[in-house]
Amino acid sequence: MPTVRLRDAAEYPEPARKLFDLAKAWFAYDFNEPAAMSRVMAWDPEFGGPHGRAMKRAMGAGEFTRAEKEMVAAVVSGVNACGY
Amino acid sequence: MTEDALWYEAALVVGITNALNVVADALAPTGAPVADLPTGDAGAVLDEIRAFYARDDVPTAYRVLAGDPAYLADVWAAARQAFTDHRLTRRMKEALAFSISVTTRSVWGSRFHLGEMRRLGVGPRGVMEILGVTQMFSSYTKIADTLQLDPDMVGLGPVDCTPAPGGQR
Repeated sequence: MPTVRLRDAAEYPEPARKLFDLAKAWFAYDFNEPAAMSRVMAWDPEFGGPHGRAMKRAMGAGEFTRAEKEMVAAVVSGVNACGY
Repeated sequence: MTEDALWYEAALVVGITNALNVVADALAPTGAPVADLPTGDAGAVLDEIRAFYARDDVPTAYRVLAGDPAYLADVWAAARQAFTDHRLTRRMKEALAFSISVTTRSVWGSRFHLGEMRRLGVGPRGVMEILGVTQMFSSYTKIADTLQLDPDMVGLGPVDCTPAPGGQR
């Protein structure tokens, strides 16, 4: 159980909600509520904005495909024993 | 990346990479005595290792196992199987191994797998891409763990109902 109350998307101010639209487009999946990490990142857009941009830059197709990078991300998460 | 076979392969790379790294990292800096490299039939394993990595010496992770040639042969057989091109390319597997090594702070593994990535044709941009993904997800995972977030992306992918391949490719 999270140590904080994750706010519904509607509780965020409009500028922060733009991050949810970006995340929705990135995942190409229609969550009932934005993913938990998206809502955490939107808590502080001055952190979440650049952090998200860095993530997208790192994950975009280059020498490795996005799918290959998702596998790298999953492996890193597994090694870090992160269940999320 | 929807087929289970890809993920089984990735998991085996994770396991054997960590196994090789922990021994190499622990023993190499200590200057711990390493048995003489075997010769004869046992030495053939070393020739295979050198050929696989296209180098004249035997990587530390294998050298430190030389005291028990039979054990070395089995570890090597597992490592070779894990890193050989199958459904995932060797290039991709080395990228995974590099990301694991960086994540686990393995000095030996980071250096070794960076070298292998480069040898297999990954350029500076590709290396930076893997570093970036590794760094970003080292951030996300710790944020998620700190807040104890529940996973919300479970079951988004299709289930692979194909039977176990039993090592067949």
